[in-house]
Formats: sequence, C-alpha cells, structure tokens
Amino acid sequence: MSRPSNAMGYYIILSIVFLLLAAVLPANQQASQLYHLSNSQYHLLFFLVILPLMLLSFLAIYGYVKLQNYANSIDKTPEGHDFKLLANGCRWLAWGLLVPAVVEIILNSIANVHPGFHAAAIVGTNYLYLVVPLVAFSLISNGSHGLLSRTKQQLSISNTKSLILVLVLIGVAYCFLIFRHYIGNSLGSTNNPFHLPLWLMLITMVIPYLYAWFVGLLAVYEIVLFSKQSRGVLYQQALQLVAYGLVIVIAGSIALQYVGSIVPSTGHLVLNTSLAATYVIRLVAVAGYILIARGAIRLKKIEEV
Amino acid sequence: MTSPDILLYDRVVRITRVYLGPAADRFIARQVQNHLQKEPQALSSEDLGRLIDWIRVAVSLLTEDNDIVEEYTTQLRELAKPSRQAS
Repeated sequence: MSRPSNAMGYYIILSIVFLLLAAVLPANQQASQLYHLSNSQYHLLFFLVILPLMLLSFLAIYGYVKLQNYANSIDKTPEGHDFKLLANGCRWLAWGLLVPAVVEIILNSIANVHPGFHAAAIVGTNYLYLVVPLVAFSLISNGSHGLLSRTKQQLSISNTKSLILVLVLIGVAYCFLIFRHYIGNSLGSTNNPFHLPLWLMLITMVIPYLYAWFVGLLAVYEIVLFSKQSRGVLYQQALQLVAYGLVIVIAGSIALQYVGSIVPSTGHLVLNTSLAATYVIRLVAVAGYILIARGAIRLKKIEEV
Repeated sequence: MTSPDILLYDRVVRITRVYLGPAADRFIARQVQNHLQKEPQALSSEDLGRLIDWIRVAVSLLTEDNDIVEEYTTQLRELAKPSRQAS
C-alpha cells in the first residue's frame, strides 16, 4: 500500500471487504440482546457505525496521498527524503484507521462463534492498534528531525521541559485510568478487561504507548519549529498548512489511542460516550488531513509552475 | 557566459528565495529552461525582461495576493538597473 496511485484502489477494495464482512458475519448475541435488536437491525446499526469511519478513512488517505505526491516531486532534493518519511508516517496513521477495524471485526466474529477465542481477539486487536502509532510516530519523528536539522535550529530547554511536563501529565493520568481496571486483582491475574496480567500490560502496552506519544509530541514540536524557521513567504504559507495539519493529525491520533486504550474493548458493538468521543476525535483528525492535503497541493504547485 | 551573468542568476535565485524558500533554485531553473530554452547558468541581462514576465505569470498561479507578486517582480526589475548589475 505504498504507491499513491494504488492507494485509492486499495481503499475501495478494503471498504468493500469491510462492508461485506459487516453484512455477512453473524450478529453478536450479547449486543443484540443489550439493544433488543433483530439480526437485520443489528447489521443496519453496524453499517451506520462503520460508514463514518470509512468516509473519514477516505479523507485521511486522500491527505497522505497528496503529501506523498509532493514528497515524490522533490525526491532528489535534500528535504525530499524527510518529506517522504512524514508522508509514510501519515500513511500508517491513515491506514491505521481502517485496517485494524477490518481485522477487529474478523477476530470478534471468530470470538462470537468460539467464545474461548474472545480474550485472544481482544489482546490481538489491542496490540494491532498499538503498532500503528509506534511505526507512524517513529517515521514522522525521523522526518521532522531531519527537516529541523537543516534549519540548524535546536529545541530550546524551556520548551523541552514543557514537553516533558505535558508527557508526564498525560502518562500519569493514563496509568491511573488503566490501573483502575486492575483494582482487586493480583499482579498475574488476567481477569480484567484487557485480558493481560498487569506486569505484561505495563511492559507491552503502557510503556510503548507512552513512548509513541512522546515521539509524536516531539515530532509536533519539531514540525512547528521547522515551518516557522523556513524561508519563503509562499513556501512557508503552504508548509504551515502541512505542519498544522500534522499537528492536528498527531494530536488527534494520540487522543484516539488514549480513549481507545483506557476504555477497554468489549469485542462487540457498544453505543456509548466512548464511541461518540472517538468519532469526534476522528473528525478533528480528518480536518488535519485536509489541511495536509491543501498544503501539499500548494507545495507541489510551487514545484510544477 | 560571463561572470556578471552568473551573478545575475544567483541574484535572481536569492530574491526568489524570499518568496519560495528552498524551492527557489528549482523554480528559477525551470522558468529559464522551459520558457527561455536556456541552461540556468546561461541567463543574461537581456533575458531578464522575459524571465520576469514568465515569473509573474507563474507566481500569479501560486498566490492571489497581488502585493506579493508586485513586490517580487519589482525587486527582480531592480536587477536590470545598470548600477546594481555592476556591483
């Protein structure tokens, strides 16, 4: 899924697969009973839930494709490699909206038929959602660091301290919200919504998420600094659209992972405030992709006229 | 290709950098190659008028802010003045 020209094709295929799965796979009995839904009503409700996700994914993919097109147009320039890294990071985030959702629906459907698989489906889905920011933020951070190093700018001590403080606040609140699900359990017990013992949850989920978020926040800071230090009135205007778009995308992505991981997945459709919150955050993040697309189109135009 | 003409190309790029940043060099090279059918380093003071006209058209496609276009082309026209060229 790397070539921009193929991205929309892959998106269409994946969307059709997603819709077919949503229509064909058996309804979850727990959710059907909870909301008093017939089989067809359950599928209709499921469609309504996944349709906005598909639309948002489309806009996200459109945004990263435009950035990748620009990065390809300046392939042989010194900053070309760094923009490619930014575009690749955005690509992971954009596909990270849709691909894990498709895998999740498959795993949960297997768990519907084989209840013994339920815990494995939850754990597998949680790890899948973790891989996306780890890879995406690492790529974006490498790109933003490369771009900033060209301006010979360095992070100021005061701003770095502020960044650390923000991360500590986010991290402590995150740990509190995760650990409250473990109250009353022993350290090795898997009798919790995450189906992981606390020590394993800490090492393989909490720490990697905090690391990814720190890398993401650092990238945000570097991107904004780079866009402010860049020369060229018209270039800077376009670059700032990309930079602020990336800021919104990264911040939205962090917020999405935050909500997604502190409210444990149940493995079936749940209509609650968490679902509403994730859609609001996704909507904001997609506004970021639109900014990226607008900025990238303007930057590419500078390379074409 | 004389020394002042090489300087002229560099000075056009230097002014352009204020508007197009790191894309300036590529932008000017493209305008010279595509519209004047010359190698960028072969740009001479005789070409400047035509180059500015093409730059005006190109930059007008990038921004609707006429003040920026005017400011940019005015600075480029300054290069055509003899006193500047000699420096």
